[in-house]
Parts: sequence; structure tokens; C-alpha cells
Amino acid sequence: MILLQSPSRFLLQTLLNRVQNLEKGVELDYQWVEFDDVRYHVQVSMKYPQFLLLSVSLPTPAQEAVFSGGLPFGAIEAIKASYGVLVQILDPPKDGFNLTLKLNLSKLPPDEEYKHALLVKIASVREVVLGAPLRVVLKHLASRTVAPDINRPFALVHRPKESFFLVPQAEKVTVVFPMRFKDSIDTVLATSFLQEFVEARRTAGLNNAPPCLWSPSPPLELRGTAGEALSANAGFVTFVIFPRHVEGKKLDRTVWSLSTFRAYVSYHVKCSEGFMHTRMRRRVESLIQALDRAKPDLEKSKKTVQGRSFKRLSLKEAHTNSNSQRWS
Amino acid sequence: MANTSRLYFTCIRNTLEAAMCLQNFPCQEVERHNKPEVELKTSPEVLLNPVLICRNEAEKCLIETSINSLRISLKVKQADELENILTKKFLRFLSMRAEAFQVLRRKPVQGYDISFLITNYHCEDMQKHKLIDFIVQFMEDIDKEISELKLSVNTRGRLVATEFLKQFI
Repeated sequence: MILLQSPSRFLLQTLLNRVQNLEKGVELDYQWVEFDDVRYHVQVSMKYPQFLLLSVSLPTPAQEAVFSGGLPFGAIEAIKASYGVLVQILDPPKDGFNLTLKLNLSKLPPDEEYKHALLVKIASVREVVLGAPLRVVLKHLASRTVAPDINRPFALVHRPKESFFLVPQAEKVTVVFPMRFKDSIDTVLATSFLQEFVEARRTAGLNNAPPCLWSPSPPLELRGTAGEALSANAGFVTFVIFPRHVEGKKLDRTVWSLSTFRAYVSYHVKCSEGFMHTRMRRRVESLIQALDRAKPDLEKSKKTVQGRSFKRLSLKEAHTNSNSQRWS
Repeated sequence: MANTSRLYFTCIRNTLEAAMCLQNFPCQEVERHNKPEVELKTSPEVLLNPVLICRNEAEKCLIETSINSLRISLKVKQADELENILTKKFLRFLSMRAEAFQVLRRKPVQGYDISFLITNYHCEDMQKHKLIDFIVQFMEDIDKEISELKLSVNTRGRLVATEFLKQFI
């Protein structure tokens, strides 16, 4: 799996299970966490098996990101547009969560294919909620206008206490990611990965991809934002999105890729480290074998011509004092 | 790469062959003790002159000898930050497994990346020329492994970037 998938696999599995055995009344109470501190809670009660309560908790926003009523800008509209009558938003949400949805599974369409598509859409609730403001901005880009009520640069939350920035213009949207990593090895690997993004963009096949820039210092677009948001130990990545990147069906994919860019890079940095460890383990084994080759074959020296064996008294045992202890 | 470094490795191999003539030698200060003199450096009369073999400023090898022990310290080239991290990671990985390599020192000598300590007992347990083979192979392998690791990071980075950007087309 190279790309991250937008539906939460576990949520989708739970929903499919539930839909298949709709008549059976079961008690469900699942809680789990996904990358970037997105938490889910699913509840089904014995009494009303057709209702499913889905609560989602989002990463805590940084100061600069705008949240209205605990949700990103435009999230409520996006939920209503995506799920329609199937879903009812409960206000206020459950304690400790940003959003609680009440799903009425008996209202699912009978057509199998459509039903499955709808369930996948519900499992991608993260994309719908967190990507809502990005989707609004990109939709305006597709029609080559700028949303009127947006201050710029516009901050969007993607990780706890961290945000990325959008600079919307009529012809293009500039997306800036300050990249932060906790571990020094992660930082170095990520920096080299990010430089590869710039290099890869230059190859012939990717001429139509969004222009990609990497710089160790904050780009000009971020002038006027708070100092804390401008500290990034792995530099800043800038993508410039043009209307051709958000046409029609591409919009969904663009929204998802951009909102999980940091997770995507970090995922591959970790994979890389895992791969290195496997390699190093193998290398250690081959080196130990090389050292073993230096030891004389004890089995052979033990046997004499007559077939009698004797034990060679090694010098180590002959000495009363041994320095076989390790020195370090 | 192989050709340019061959001279360096041959020089190390020849020096090691000359230097590895170790004999049992009990400690002179404490009775019934037997210690690697190169580590203690208490009696200057049993220490020999150290040899420093440099390929360039970043790559060097220090061979210190004494009557009953030999210490080899290596500095591996680190051209950029990525190589630096990879070298550190790999050599730390090796040092942590020093128990498996009897001749590896747990901590490198100051200013170097990795050190070996060979005592007269190691020379008795193992064949001398094969032990030298091992040290030289070890050095070659470190260089090879680090350049391969670096290549694999860059290849993966390129692939990851290409896949990501492909989504927008």
C-alpha cells in the first residue's frame, strides 16, 4: 500500500457487519484511534438495532485554525451534502468528541452497489469533516472565484496543535505545509524525501502535476502569521493547485491527498526505517559468519589418525588469570 | 569506488599483518591480573607506536598496538546529513551487538566511529590471517551498506513522491 486509503477500514468492516445482520439486536461499543489523533466511537444498543451512533474526535486545533462549534468551517454542510437523510447530527455531541452522528441503517437504499458506496462514504467521515474547508476553497477554485468570507493565509488543522495554510486566489490556491518531526532521524529522512518531491515534479511524466517547492525557511505566502506556526524542523513544502487539478472527480482525491500529506510522508519515513532495520540485521548476520570463518574447525583437530579423540588444552584454560572478560 | 579504496584497504591489511604479533603478558602492577595493555596504558615500555592511516580527512584508521593487545579505530566518511544519520544508526546497531562479535569494542575511541579490540586470546582462538580478512571485510561492508542504504532512501523517496504527484494528473 503506497497511498493512504480514506475509508477507515475498521469502521467500514463494522458497518458492513451491522448491515448484514440488521435484524439481530446486538450491543456494540467500540473505540479506536487513527493516525493524527482522530478517534472514533461506535455504539449500537439492543433496543434499536437499526440506529448506530458514530462519534468522531478531531485533533486539537492550533490557535490560528478556525473552528466553529468544535468543527472545521463548512463541515456541517459537507456532512449533510454527503449523507443526506441517512444521518442525523446530534447536538451537542458526546462528551470528549467533536461530532456525533446518528445513522439510521434502515434508510439505506436497497441497491447493493449503491449501498456499499454509501457505506464507504460513511467510513470516510474523516475526509468529509477534516477536508471540508479545503473542499470549499478548491470548489471555488474550480469555478475560478474566491470565497468571500475567508481571511488569508487560511489555516487548516491536520494534526494536534499543527496546521497547514491555504492562500486562495482566483486562478490558483497555494498550499503550504510546515513539516515538523520529533525524532532527529525522521527529520533527516523526511527532508531528503521532500527534496525528492521537488525533483520528481521535474520529470517529464509529471508536467501536469502541481508545482512543488521545498524551502528551509517560511515562504513569502506565510507573512503575517503567528511565529509559532512558522517553526518547522523539516522545512516548508508548497504546492500550487490549479483549476485543472480539481476538475470534476479529481476534487475528492485532491482534498484527501492534501489533507493527509504530512501523514503520508511520515508513514513512508517509518517504512523506510523498518526496511533499514531488516537490512542491518541481515548484514550483522553475514558479518558474524565472516568472523566465524576465522575460527579453526575444532571438530577436525580433535580426531587423530587412530580415531582417538583428545581434548586440546587451550591456552586460556592453562592460565589461571583470564582476560576473557570484555573491555569496553 | 572499489579501485580507489583498494589501496587504503591494502595498506590497512599490511599494517595489521605486521602489527598483529601479540603474546601473553600479565599485568605488571597487579599480581594475577592480565589486562589489555593498550587500554590501560600504565606501562609505556610495552606500548608500541600507534599508526594512523588516512585516506582523507573524513576517512581514517588508527591502529594502536601493545604487547598483548591491538586496538583498531575507524572513522567512516559522512558526506552529508543523511549519511551521517545512516552511519550513526548502523554503527550503533553493530556496537549493540558487540557480544556477538568478540573483537568489537562496545564504545568507539573518542573521535572515531567504531573500534575493535583484539587481544592475544583472540589470536589464539582464531586464525590470524582470517581475523584480518574479517576486519577488512567489515570496513568494506560498512562503506557498501551505507551507500546502499542511502540509495534505497533516495529511491523510495522518489517513488513515494511520484505516486503522490500522479494522483493530481
